[in-house]
Amino acid sequence: MKDKLVNWAIWIGILVIFLLIIIIFSLSVGPTDIPFKKFISLIFKGKGSVEYSVLFDIRIPRILLGFAIGGALSLAGVILQGLFRNPLVEPYTLGISGGAVLGVCLNIVFQLDKNLGIISLPFSGFLGAILIILLVYSLSIKRGILKINELLLIGVMLSFILSSLNMLIMAVSHIQDLQGVIFWIMGSLAEPNWFLIKLMFFVSILGLLFSYLFCHALNALSLGEEEALHLGINVEITKRLLFILASLLTGFSVSIAGIIGFVGLAVPHFMRNLIGNDYRILLISSFLSGAGFLILCDTLARTIILPLELPVGVITGILGGSIFIYIISKKQIKL
Amino acid sequence: MKRCVILTTILLTTIFASFVFSLSSPQRIISLGPYITEEIYLLDAQDKLVGCTVYCRRPPDAEKKEKVGTVIQINTEKILTLKPDLVIATALTQKKDIEKLKKIGIKVIEFPSPKNFNEICNQFLELGKILDRYDLAENIVQKAKAKVLEIKRKTKNLAKVKVFVEVGSNPLFTITGDSFVNDFIEFSGGINIAKDAKTGIYSREAVLKENPDVIIIATMGILADKEKEIWKKYENLNAVKNNRIYIIDAYKLCSPTPVSFVETLEELVNILHFNYER
Amino acid sequence: MKEIILKIKNLSCGYDSQIILSDINLTVERGKLLGIIGPNGAGKTTLLRAITGIIRPKQGNIFFEDKDIYQIGLKELAKKIAVVPQSIIVNSITVEEFVLLGRIPHYKRFQFLETKKDQEIAKKALELTDTLKLKDRSILEISSGERQLVLIAKALAQEPKLLLLDEPTAHLDIGHQIKIMQLIKKLNETENLTVLVVLHDLNLASQYCEELVLLNEGKLIRQGSVNEVLNYRDIEMVYKTTVLIKENPLNKRPFVILFPPKEWDEQK
Repeated sequence: MKDKLVNWAIWIGILVIFLLIIIIFSLSVGPTDIPFKKFISLIFKGKGSVEYSVLFDIRIPRILLGFAIGGALSLAGVILQGLFRNPLVEPYTLGISGGAVLGVCLNIVFQLDKNLGIISLPFSGFLGAILIILLVYSLSIKRGILKINELLLIGVMLSFILSSLNMLIMAVSHIQDLQGVIFWIMGSLAEPNWFLIKLMFFVSILGLLFSYLFCHALNALSLGEEEALHLGINVEITKRLLFILASLLTGFSVSIAGIIGFVGLAVPHFMRNLIGNDYRILLISSFLSGAGFLILCDTLARTIILPLELPVGVITGILGGSIFIYIISKKQIKL
Repeated sequence: MKRCVILTTILLTTIFASFVFSLSSPQRIISLGPYITEEIYLLDAQDKLVGCTVYCRRPPDAEKKEKVGTVIQINTEKILTLKPDLVIATALTQKKDIEKLKKIGIKVIEFPSPKNFNEICNQFLELGKILDRYDLAENIVQKAKAKVLEIKRKTKNLAKVKVFVEVGSNPLFTITGDSFVNDFIEFSGGINIAKDAKTGIYSREAVLKENPDVIIIATMGILADKEKEIWKKYENLNAVKNNRIYIIDAYKLCSPTPVSFVETLEELVNILHFNYER
Repeated sequence: MKEIILKIKNLSCGYDSQIILSDINLTVERGKLLGIIGPNGAGKTTLLRAITGIIRPKQGNIFFEDKDIYQIGLKELAKKIAVVPQSIIVNSITVEEFVLLGRIPHYKRFQFLETKKDQEIAKKALELTDTLKLKDRSILEISSGERQLVLIAKALAQEPKLLLLDEPTAHLDIGHQIKIMQLIKKLNETENLTVLVVLHDLNLASQYCEELVLLNEGKLIRQGSVNEVLNYRDIEMVYKTTVLIKENPLNKRPFVILFPPKEWDEQK
């Protein structure tokens, strides 16, 4: 088992290095390239210069948010895939993103953000997400048992209903409102509010730590609910808490940054392929690689067609989708 | 000797004052809307313009300026590196981006979408004030207002023409009463059939019911010719019967500077009253 | 008097509104190898599920070592009772890692990695089931006979006092069937493990079990020695088919021969 620990330590080391390289890359590129050597001097002496501002006011917040949200979404994805024992589940499958969009739509249409300030938008997104989480949760509990398969079906159906509802609201709203909603939906890491960035960071780290309380339970659950019960796992409590954890991670991510797809789907799969199915290493690997992946995608999104910026969801979709297809086809070749 | 001193003092003070005054007016401006860019050129302040959107193409000189993104998605980092002392945003600029710029310490002024000709003029005057070109602005506005009055007089006694303006096709989108485009139609002696509609999304059936005499299609990201063909199928529409479906450059129709307003208005008057076969 | 390890009193249970088992009374002595037989749908699997606490009884109680199983926590119960399912659906995992999962009930509160003791117990389980050589193979790549042995190894890693097996020989060839039953017998004798095994093959049950329990339509028809339970009346009534029961010349245990009815008529 010493081998296992060493093996895991090496993986985490590789992921951390990968993450650091991506962060440094992201810090240095943009409309003005800032070479790495300049970083140190800028940090200590550069305050007030444009480059300092570029680093600290624009790039670092985005990288921090990308770290937190990429980590949170991948973590939520890997947890949900373990919970549902279904490889196609991702954080948005359950209708949580639809709920967040609904909250934001209603906010924009009723112009609540004029009265409550700019933080009301993520807040209403979060409320919408929570509402859907509670709805899906309560609809799936029968006789004290949280039925996982029903949870999935209800979540998928709800997300379709919500998507139509949201389109309805958009169809009858004014064009200025419409634009606001559409761009919110498209997903962006350019959040101006430091409080929200710090909040997301703490939520994601806490989420990671909390998920480790369930690493053995998740391993047991991979054998099936009945087998997990035979191993002494309190499956009901585990399902509920993990569902709530994954939902909260998703809810916070969507409310703050809009819809950024595929991070929660492709990254966990990729990690499983590389590292295996043991949750003790999978949880943190998914988190770190998701963080790196999102930061990388965001960097590409804001530098590929300067001075225009692509929505980050476009890059995560294309890259993430391609990775996913590649892994699936590799598996087929094995067979 | 005393007179000399007084004169010199006055001269120096004036020079100093105008120097200070011009210092307080922004010298490095970024425009986030094509019509604002156009207005800056009209006010002969293009030297102060250091950046604009990729869609700012009028006048052609604007294409040479540094680009900071589109009207809807701006690159805050690029803006920061251009070191502006003022950024002028439109109603289409995302609130998030405006917040971000303000947080970095950049001054941002938001120009809302003008709802009518008066607001177009007021915004123009405001811009003139900011750019220290108030006199020129007033001049241009007065001329524009005079021309508009003349046009209104010309068309006052002409038979009112029912008009439907199409600015989007999927879904069908028109202009309601709270846009300045409505003024185009009313000043040129027309009636906007969608003036009192709640939202811009209009149904083709409602158009058929209103039976406009003229349909104007703005080439805003839609295939205007294709739309014209579609309308032609509704043979009972007055506009179709009399072959009065016109295509107008969306840029002219939807970019509100006082000068372009007058130009487009004149074109519309022709279309509605003088330029058709009975 | 031997010690009673499991006592089932007046048990009635089922799923939703359906009652599967009614009024079951069963006592199992420690160290016994008990076979559970009966036709499909008799409630055999339900009985196993009730014993492990997966299905709550609608009526009656189940006592393990004189304690109601619902007073013993799930985790504690998992250290005492282990179940070998018929088959399993699982992601790719090595045999060794799979068996180590059986140690989960024994992990301390914040234990993250398996201890040396855990590794040793897992190794012993692999040795007992003769699967040590497979430890680095993926569980998806071994044969079904080997997989069944690995499932037993995982159950053994739990260090249970009572081992439950649900039709462990169901999809195996006779060679592997014997291998599994020999293993179960050995575990019962050398490790003093009490074993309850659901079997569909009456002759395997007859050859290897000390006692049998015959279930039919949710009721316990007979519990007793192999000779007592494998009698014409009960077997023919329960399985609704004619059989011929002879004695196995090698060990005097009953041997059940299938008898297609037509041939009997022709014999007449």
